[in-house]
Amino acid sequence: MRTERILAIILLLELAIFAAIAPNFATVANTFEITRLAVELGLLALALTPIIIAGGIDLSVGSMMGLAAVIFGALWRDAHLPIFTAALMALATGMLGGSINAVLITRLRTPPLIVTLGTYSLFRGMAHGLTSGITSYSGFPATFLYLGQGYLFGFLPPQLLLFAAGAVAWFLLLHRTVYGRTFHAIGFSPEGARYAGIPVARRLGLLYVLAGMSASAAAIIYVAHLGQAKSDAGTGYELMAITAVVLGGTSIFGGRGTIPGTLLGLFAISVLQNGLRLAALPGELSGILTGGLLIATMSIDRYYATRSRATPATGSEETTVKNSQVAVLSAVIVASALLICGSNWYLARSLRGGQTLAASVTSPHAPVIGMMPKAKGDPYFVSCRLGAEEAAREHGDELIWDGPTDLDAAKQNEVVEGWISRGVDVIAVSVENRAAISTVLRKARARGIRVITWDADAEPEARDFFINQATPQGIGETLTDEAARLLGGRGDFAIVTASLSAANQNEWIGFIKQRLAQKYPELHLVAIRPSDGDRDRAFQETQTLLKVYPQVKLVMGVAAPAVPGIAEAVRQSERTDVKVIGLSLPNLCKPYVHSGVVQSVVLWNTRDLGYLAVTVADSLSRGTLKAGAASMEAGRLGRIQIEGTQVRLGAPFIFNKANIDQFDW
Amino acid sequence: MLTLRSISKNYAGVRALQGIDFNLVAGEVHALAGENGAGKSTLVKILTGAVAPDSGTMHLNDKLVEQNTPHRARALGIAAIYQQPALFPELTVAENIALFDEAPEAWRRIDWAGRRTRARQLLAEIEADLSPDEIVASLSLARQQLVEIAKALGAGARVLILDEPTAALTEREAQNLFRIVGAMKAKGVGVIYISHRLPELFALADRITVLRDGQHVVTRAMQGLDEAELVRLMVGRALTAVYPARSAKRGDVVLESADAGCRATGVHNVSFQLRAGEILGISGLVGSKRTELAQMLFGLNPSDAGEIRVRGAGVKIRNPAQAIALGVGLVPEDRRRHGVVLPMSIAANTTLASLRGVSRRGFLQFGRERAVAEKWRERFSTKADSVLAPVETLSGGNQQKVSLARWLATNPSILILDEPTQGIDVGAKAEIHRLIADLAAGGLAILLISSDLPEILGMSDRVAVMRQGTIAVILDRVDATQQNILEIALGKDAAA
Amino acid sequence: MKRDFAVLGALVSLLAFAAIAAPTFFSAANLRDILLANLAVLIVAMGMTLVIVLGQIDISIGAQFGVCSVLAGMLAKAGCPAWLLVILLLGAGAALGSLNGLLVAHLRLPSIVVTLAAMAVLRDSLRWATGGKWVQDLPQSFQWFGLSQRGGEWMLSLVTGAILAGCVYGARYLMAGRMIFATGSDAESARLAGIPTVRVVFWVFAFMGALTALAALLNAVRFPEVPGNAGAGLELKAIAAVVVGGTSITGGRGSLGGSVLGVALLAVIGPMLTFLGVNAYWEQAIQGAIILVAATTTMAARKRT
Repeated sequence: MRTERILAIILLLELAIFAAIAPNFATVANTFEITRLAVELGLLALALTPIIIAGGIDLSVGSMMGLAAVIFGALWRDAHLPIFTAALMALATGMLGGSINAVLITRLRTPPLIVTLGTYSLFRGMAHGLTSGITSYSGFPATFLYLGQGYLFGFLPPQLLLFAAGAVAWFLLLHRTVYGRTFHAIGFSPEGARYAGIPVARRLGLLYVLAGMSASAAAIIYVAHLGQAKSDAGTGYELMAITAVVLGGTSIFGGRGTIPGTLLGLFAISVLQNGLRLAALPGELSGILTGGLLIATMSIDRYYATRSRATPATGSEETTVKNSQVAVLSAVIVASALLICGSNWYLARSLRGGQTLAASVTSPHAPVIGMMPKAKGDPYFVSCRLGAEEAAREHGDELIWDGPTDLDAAKQNEVVEGWISRGVDVIAVSVENRAAISTVLRKARARGIRVITWDADAEPEARDFFINQATPQGIGETLTDEAARLLGGRGDFAIVTASLSAANQNEWIGFIKQRLAQKYPELHLVAIRPSDGDRDRAFQETQTLLKVYPQVKLVMGVAAPAVPGIAEAVRQSERTDVKVIGLSLPNLCKPYVHSGVVQSVVLWNTRDLGYLAVTVADSLSRGTLKAGAASMEAGRLGRIQIEGTQVRLGAPFIFNKANIDQFDW
Repeated sequence: MLTLRSISKNYAGVRALQGIDFNLVAGEVHALAGENGAGKSTLVKILTGAVAPDSGTMHLNDKLVEQNTPHRARALGIAAIYQQPALFPELTVAENIALFDEAPEAWRRIDWAGRRTRARQLLAEIEADLSPDEIVASLSLARQQLVEIAKALGAGARVLILDEPTAALTEREAQNLFRIVGAMKAKGVGVIYISHRLPELFALADRITVLRDGQHVVTRAMQGLDEAELVRLMVGRALTAVYPARSAKRGDVVLESADAGCRATGVHNVSFQLRAGEILGISGLVGSKRTELAQMLFGLNPSDAGEIRVRGAGVKIRNPAQAIALGVGLVPEDRRRHGVVLPMSIAANTTLASLRGVSRRGFLQFGRERAVAEKWRERFSTKADSVLAPVETLSGGNQQKVSLARWLATNPSILILDEPTQGIDVGAKAEIHRLIADLAAGGLAILLISSDLPEILGMSDRVAVMRQGTIAVILDRVDATQQNILEIALGKDAAA
Repeated sequence: MKRDFAVLGALVSLLAFAAIAAPTFFSAANLRDILLANLAVLIVAMGMTLVIVLGQIDISIGAQFGVCSVLAGMLAKAGCPAWLLVILLLGAGAALGSLNGLLVAHLRLPSIVVTLAAMAVLRDSLRWATGGKWVQDLPQSFQWFGLSQRGGEWMLSLVTGAILAGCVYGARYLMAGRMIFATGSDAESARLAGIPTVRVVFWVFAFMGALTALAALLNAVRFPEVPGNAGAGLELKAIAAVVVGGTSITGGRGSLGGSVLGVALLAVIGPMLTFLGVNAYWEQAIQGAIILVAATTTMAARKRT
């Protein structure tokens, strides 16, 4: 229980610090928001705890989430099963997947790390394969979405109840039943357990089956939470869940560990992420601090372990959790809840006078704008950010730039939830997943926050304005026309896209295919390869493409990091007859455009896009821009036209040898 | 040659050694005796540099040895062979024997041909027929011991410490070892010999040092010492009856094996009958598959031939859970790996095989569990602070009591004991013997597997001698002697 | 080495299948490209084999790879001469690795936790520092170390080959190599045999770091610019290759040759599926299935012996 105590202290420290520095952190609403976001991860962590205690590991749970989500969606939409039946079938799928792990691990005696590394690829790959990466299922009935998005009694997220039930069930299983005792014994000594008559293989198998089921349950809640089922659900969750379990004091060598510890670990991570977001500190700190926390708790634990071994054994029983310890833990949780409620009450009282004021049009303070890219590290968005910062400086706004590090719809929701709790004035989102984010954006609007979308749109009634840089159709057509021009209207070409499930790219490709069918019957798209936003992968894929399809005379990249990769592959192959075009940033492609490898790059001015988004946000919050306006003044961009609720940046631009040097972004 | 002066060592406030003086003369075999926990192992660790003494000095050939480390001790020619082989299971025999017998300089090139030849030579010297290229993990414990002896031999030891070397050896292998010890003695090597088997000490040792509770009791010549006197020195009191008296009451046949066998482990055509209240001793050389027989009866390596009957009914025991359901228990040979789960508490270990008995609808009842554990602790007078103490904090004898308690808690009618007193000190050994006799008197049918012939003869009603995977002969107690058991085990088919 | 047979069999049957279904797969140019693209994985797989033989694991190498790639670009941009760049980079990699080594060997923390933490810290620190920007406008001398493309390719292959040969030789014929296997087999026995086990663990992690840095450098010079997200998923690729290659995850047992085969198997699957015209969407699933088949047949083969 030592680790749990250390963690409880850390958790209290986090709460205290963030209550002091992060606006609206210590409120009831936020408390529940934190727990809501921890549910899916938590279900995985709960299932992983006994597995790690029994000396195993399961890396496939995140991928299982993706597969279960897709199967759930397909059964409901395509097979027209009732939602409840579909959910049951999804759970069954999880159990089936878990049994594959179980059989390979217990019958063929293959180490769990290897087996689940294999099924990690297998399950995710099947999810991609079944949906061709593109299909996503949405339009679920409201009663189902309530499970992930609604509020019981006006404040309690329903999935939290499910999670609490799950946590209690896992707790009882692990710490109060005969089964739990045997898991510990297996973890300490599988041979010793076998000699004690414990059916080791069956017990271990059960755990992997339960983990598969738990992952499916997490997937269903995830779908309800985001309103959409897609093959990339739960990407990377396995490592986060393992982090929570290990942080919670479960020994990776097996034997030791507790469910309360896992819960503490889980909350320590979620509170950290949420607090950083509300305090508008860089999200990267969460990884750095989580890593630090891991090392710190392990080291402290190790220090005490060696010290206590140096004194005579006191007969402490580390493998059982006493009711009194659970009571103390609950007390800590209740105390922190009271602390939060107390400050909430205080805050509400002190703000009561200003409540009406906040809703009025002119804010007395500088507008706080939360602006979110799809992925922070992507060069495309990095250049958008420059423009956004420029505009924020110009207008004197406070700009919070935060978002997922990689494409991740769930993370986007999380960030928006954080901003709602924090109470920003305007939220500006580049939407990764339309259906997923619209609910939470509507919620933001209901709380009086202005919402705009930029780069990629949400559902129209979920936002005030959309900054439209170019329509998917426009992009698709421009790219196709450019390809046709270079190839003289006939021949084969190939596309290297981002990830196979990237929504934007898939939409563009859809329009490209449509344009081909309509205008260029002799132009053939022979292959679409993924690059996962990785330049090196794009490079390798292109090398292979050129050999498999020697007749391809043009390769089109539709992701910013892919185009330089394609260009380098073409250049190194010395195939001067192959042309490269694509959607990318001028700076990334400049050398290739000059050397003639890349013929043209299609893109709007990303820097202006960021600039315009912040300017619109600023005007909205200051009240100078109202719904129905036909145009607006946009600083250095001059007067900008508005059509309905769409603010137009202008048509896509084609960069080539002649003009590319005029742009530096 | 080797002199220790007033060596003391405390572990976390517990005194392990206190002011020990010890000296070893070149060319002698010096026995080190004492009960478990007397401080023999700590003394060995200090000699080999595995731990540093808190105070005291060590001289080798009149030179002070400062800051002893395992590396340094090896360089000085101090080699040790422990109870458990300290080998690299995944490496080959040659690597184990000959690779690290020189200073481990990281960038030295390895001459494989030379190493292999050297390993072969060393193995030949102890007449062990082992290929240098075999992976150690695939060898039996006894053969691993041979590897270890060859390794020490190769290290050119001037001081050779043998810590319970014969515990896992067959009689013949042990004789072979004694011959090697004699040869090394003749070469002027000083041998420190530790064993619980007192006859070995009398056969081998020139002098003896007795330790008790970390203190030096006596160092004297072996000559003129008798076994009773030595035991008195070790335990501080005379043990009157080494083996308890047995009651003669026998019940019905509870376990019967008719030509049972298991192809995977090589046990075949095993036939015997076991009655309630009876102790059937099972003797045999290492490699005669005694442990494998126990594993077959307990369902770890299920029988696939012949028939096994429990209380008259033919049964198939496919796994330990079924064995337990039929009232069969097994106290395994490897206590630390199989007998108990070391980091778990006494209570958890006691109930691990009978969890159903301390639970309701699958939920554990901690009160009942503690009560059960307390009951057995009192009955066995297990020495522990509390039943919540991890088993790893107990001494070997007390661990064995916990292992025994686990099986008695399942309320068995048949109990298989595999080497129940191996590596346990004299006092605890007698206690366990008394327990076994009590259990048999209470109507339990017991299969007692042991390499300790006096133990077999002292405890059993009948003695089954195993050879090459099957029971060769079953002798009545009155007919059995060390001599004829050994002869049958070695292959002389003397009609019993 | 019997246990290499399973993976070798999988590789051979896969190649045989390709030979029938898509003979163009075996063009020299294609094989060369596949080799070049996997030099980095090959190098880190050597280190990973040693780490896993020790009974440890290092999942921070992908993040280390990213940090080292960007560092290489920045040093080159700052006008650092090539020889100094190599030294500095290897030093930086070794330093990152020895940080892991320090925590694992000296504080005795479990390596999976330590390197999980290191991964999170390094990835996020890099992202914070660069903001996802690429290192561009590198001097001409950076790509291929200033050699011609063909020359550069030869040079990279030779360097990798030398590393490979060095590792295989060292593991078998140097005391250092056997010390690693001995420590992984039984740390306590190794200590008693006078092997400085703590130092062995420490140096293997440091070596892993240096190899990762070298791999990052060799990969970076193949391109005229350095992306900010290099090395994503490298750790899983390397671990998969090593375990498919038959190295026991519990330590003590493993072969570098097997790891080379493991890398080769995983490296050819992707391009081969393209050659066979398999839909890209099913590729990951097929890869997973092949890993499972290779791993389980290895286990089955091992069980029989």
